[in-house]
Amino acid sequence: MLSRSLAATAAVLLSVAAITVPAPAAEPAAGPQLAQARAALPEAGEFIAHLAADAIAGMSDKTMSLEERTRRFRTLLTADFDVPEIARFVLGRYWRVATPDERSEYTKLFEDYIVSIYAARFQEYDGEQLKVNAAVKDDDGAFVSSSIERKAGPPVKVDWKLKSQAPNFKIVDVMVEGVSMSVTQRDDFAAAIQAHGGKVAGLIDMLKQKVQTASSK
Amino acid sequence: MSNIFSKRTLNWGLAAAVSGLLLASGCASTSTPEQRDQVAETNDPLEPMNRYFFDLNLFFQEFALKPAAAWYSMSLPQPAQNGVHKFLQNMKQPWTMVNDALQGNFDRAGESGARFLINSTLGVGGIFDVATDWGFPEHNEDFGQTLAVWGLGDGPYLMLPFIGPSNLRDTAALPFDWYLDPVNIAVTNYVPIPDHSHPRQPPHHEEYTWFPTARGFVGSVDEQARNGDAIEQLKKQSMDFYATVRSIYRQRRDAQIHNRGEGENGPSGPVSSTPTDVPPEADELHGPHTETSQAKPE
Repeated sequence: MLSRSLAATAAVLLSVAAITVPAPAAEPAAGPQLAQARAALPEAGEFIAHLAADAIAGMSDKTMSLEERTRRFRTLLTADFDVPEIARFVLGRYWRVATPDERSEYTKLFEDYIVSIYAARFQEYDGEQLKVNAAVKDDDGAFVSSSIERKAGPPVKVDWKLKSQAPNFKIVDVMVEGVSMSVTQRDDFAAAIQAHGGKVAGLIDMLKQKVQTASSK
Repeated sequence: MSNIFSKRTLNWGLAAAVSGLLLASGCASTSTPEQRDQVAETNDPLEPMNRYFFDLNLFFQEFALKPAAAWYSMSLPQPAQNGVHKFLQNMKQPWTMVNDALQGNFDRAGESGARFLINSTLGVGGIFDVATDWGFPEHNEDFGQTLAVWGLGDGPYLMLPFIGPSNLRDTAALPFDWYLDPVNIAVTNYVPIPDHSHPRQPPHHEEYTWFPTARGFVGSVDEQARNGDAIEQLKKQSMDFYATVRSIYRQRRDAQIHNRGEGENGPSGPVSSTPTDVPPEADELHGPHTETSQAKPE
């Protein structure tokens, strides 16, 4: 029985291989570069550790009003993240087709959207701690890998991509277990724009709605 | 006949999917260059069918998985739930070890083997994770990852009913994960049946053939109980939840294939070619690109 099902799966596999092999194969790029030793950059690790400490100290108080928490989160976000650059990356290829007005409106709404999503989540803070595992120099900044220790379940791996900007750094991407938040957001927005016939205005309307429903609660 | 649940259905499903793909290839036509780029990038020629199954899965999640997970969360205290999770994870270790070896990664195969031995004994059948403290961190491998390491591309994105997001390669790998998993083989073939008392003969009994299915379902409930809130949040914030899940699946698989983003002791480290290495201008110039592959500044 086992061998018969094996034969069947092998047959399926071969036909699959025929279709998929000519498509781009698994990329060889990551391997050698991963192995390459990179200079440690402890300042970057400290930057992330401080950010986590500040966020926990400033926003985890359960009695804090949502307005206050939102205000504090926005301060922290704009100080430590390069929001305009993230916004631009997330709009991806549609940045080029957006009008100057659409660009500025979108960039502002993007910040509101991020604030509306994440500020409230600090209310659910439950003793999680961030531990920096490594911080190394990167092409245009630094790469920090950390893990968030939780009470329930195994630690979550979180990586931070930073760019150097006086006096220290700005965060340009956060990767949770290998999943980039910028890329995920970009693909989500791209699908929304696609559904609106390639019009950035469609996304702007949806962003307005999301921000409004979040603030009216 | 030791026919395990839906063996034929699964194979026929695969055959249907493959022929469906053959038919559907080459009928994607869109207007603007931006939209064409996006079609190339998402590699989702069966999107209408996939969206249909996605809705079906959301329905299933809402009305079967969520109630089951809610009941599970209420009836078991958190430490017991963690024990169940670790027990399930421990059962994945032998198949992980086989795949590590198939990928030529014998250090990691040794780690998985050591984990299974340590946790199955000292960890009381796997409900405690002693091995991590002993310097054997957890990682998982499956046959889809092995095929990728062997050079097989993702193929088109697929949303499988009741199983979830996948792609052609990972779908083709599923039967291997199901039938060649050492724990599944051991339980369905070699666990002695109490009243038959023929423990040494591998009998063609069917008493435990439900095991892989039950294991899969408990795994889904465990996952729902642990990640349900995060999924809900993601659904709320997404403009297009389907597209968000598709993006996450693709990135997550890529990370798993290259053993990135694993537990804190895992070989993580800098990925020199993360997507943000490419400034938006470069992104515009070069059009579609897969996330981690070619994001090198020229």
